[in-house]
Amino acid sequence: MPRLTRRHLLATAGIAALAGCSSRNSGNAAQLSGPLELPTADARLPLPTTADALTDEARSGGPGKDGIPSIDDPQFIDAADADVLGPGDPVFGVARDGVKKAYPQKILVSHEIVNDDLGGTPVAVTDCPLTGTAQGFERGNTEFGVSGRLINANLVMYDRTTEAWWPQILATSIPGPWNESPEIRSLREFRLIWTTWERWQGQHPDTQVLSTDTGHASNYGRDPYGSYNPRGGYYESENMLFPGRTDDDRFHPKRVVMGARTADGAVAFLKDAIRENRVMSGELGATPVTAVYDDRYDTAYVYRNPDEQEVSDADGDIAVIGTTYAPDDLPLSRIHTFDAMWFAWVGYYPETNVYG
Amino acid sequence: MADARLALFGEAISRTRAAVGMTLHRRDGQAVFAVVTAVYLFVYLWGIGHLAAGLGGFGVTVVDDLVATLLQSEGAFSFRPIARVALGPITYLASLNTVIGGAVAALVGLNLSLSYLAWRQPAACGIGQSSSGLLAGIPALLSGTACCGPVVLIAVGIQASSTLLTAFQFLLPAAVLILVGSLLLVGRQVTVAQ
Repeated sequence: MPRLTRRHLLATAGIAALAGCSSRNSGNAAQLSGPLELPTADARLPLPTTADALTDEARSGGPGKDGIPSIDDPQFIDAADADVLGPGDPVFGVARDGVKKAYPQKILVSHEIVNDDLGGTPVAVTDCPLTGTAQGFERGNTEFGVSGRLINANLVMYDRTTEAWWPQILATSIPGPWNESPEIRSLREFRLIWTTWERWQGQHPDTQVLSTDTGHASNYGRDPYGSYNPRGGYYESENMLFPGRTDDDRFHPKRVVMGARTADGAVAFLKDAIRENRVMSGELGATPVTAVYDDRYDTAYVYRNPDEQEVSDADGDIAVIGTTYAPDDLPLSRIHTFDAMWFAWVGYYPETNVYG
Repeated sequence: MADARLALFGEAISRTRAAVGMTLHRRDGQAVFAVVTAVYLFVYLWGIGHLAAGLGGFGVTVVDDLVATLLQSEGAFSFRPIARVALGPITYLASLNTVIGGAVAALVGLNLSLSYLAWRQPAACGIGQSSSGLLAGIPALLSGTACCGPVVLIAVGIQASSTLLTAFQFLLPAAVLILVGSLLLVGRQVTVAQ
């Protein structure tokens, strides 16, 4: 609950400018009662350094805790009613357990987290505008909120039960000021497809779309960082608002890679290279992997291919040893893959292999 | 010594009040005040993104928990909007920031209308202070961008260091202090005709 402090009242009177500097950390979301029941990944995901060292790298992003408010009671509309979306506007789509939903980037840029439910499974749909990463997590009996801190210019979430920090890309808990000794574990993730409204609607005409009726008075026509349709501002500039963890000038810092990581290591494929080549090979740790392009959504998937089976493009589908499959349904073990800006990926996974 | 300073300060306040009163009673003073205040508030709201291009259409959306949301801080001197007003291509977000921006805008307006008066009374003072009010308002304009990451820095290619973010927090109070000081400096030099 918000705290009505004298400072707030002074602000109301218009003279808070002289009095109220410390209201920035007042959060709006109540702490949830425990115990925390959170589905976690089978194996912990890699961290670039110790959890404590990551905590020390955290910096303020400007807003305080919950200063960027998550959407906790999302409403959805039919595709036909989504008249605020242009064909080329980015959406983060998920089709799972018979549920098809699209989360517009123009809404998530103001909230970064949607605490939602997919077919009875509580989930968090997250988007970090500064690193260009949209990731889905199962959230068990808790909610996630925006801590207001950044590591590697990436959103640091917190869970509202134990208040541990969870850097979004790492998807792993680390200590923070509100919980200094959390159990270090990784979230169970699910794929959000970063695509355009036109492509998503074309594949899923019966999709539901997150409504602008979010419970917040935000202007969803304004992206404070820039624009994706067409790409501009922060999203295409070489300028950084907050620094990444490493200085790596092999590629433009905002160049999009399709990244995959496991406990064994990390691999990244330049998205425009996959788009052009359709099928690419690489290694994640010591395991051969294959990345395939899906032109239905302009996205890609990374599969383990330990036996180095022959994989090739087959007019939009993918052929594996002569038999064709949909790009997201190869008879290989798929690794969770998502879009990220290059600086963010290499910052968190400096030992990553990268192909392009 | 202290009493003398206090008396000087009191006199400055008294003269400023009288000068403000006189300015706001003159049609030209009112005009300068109204125009400057309105323009500054417009620029301030635009700067913090609470007046910007929107999704189009017309309508008003008000949040459910009005009072709690009104007082909800988003960052330093930045408050969560309680209503979204869609006015065709423009969307306005109503929040305490409008009150804060209005107060700063009024201070800038008073500074400039007093400077105008001082300029119209060349015997009372020079016009050296005439630009100080406008300049003093600039930090407050920048302060608004601190709430969502100082995105103004993207344009100039500067990274937001911790020091810079801290500095941004003090821009608004600094602007208010400078504006009040500037107002007293100008106001004490204006001779109010009885």
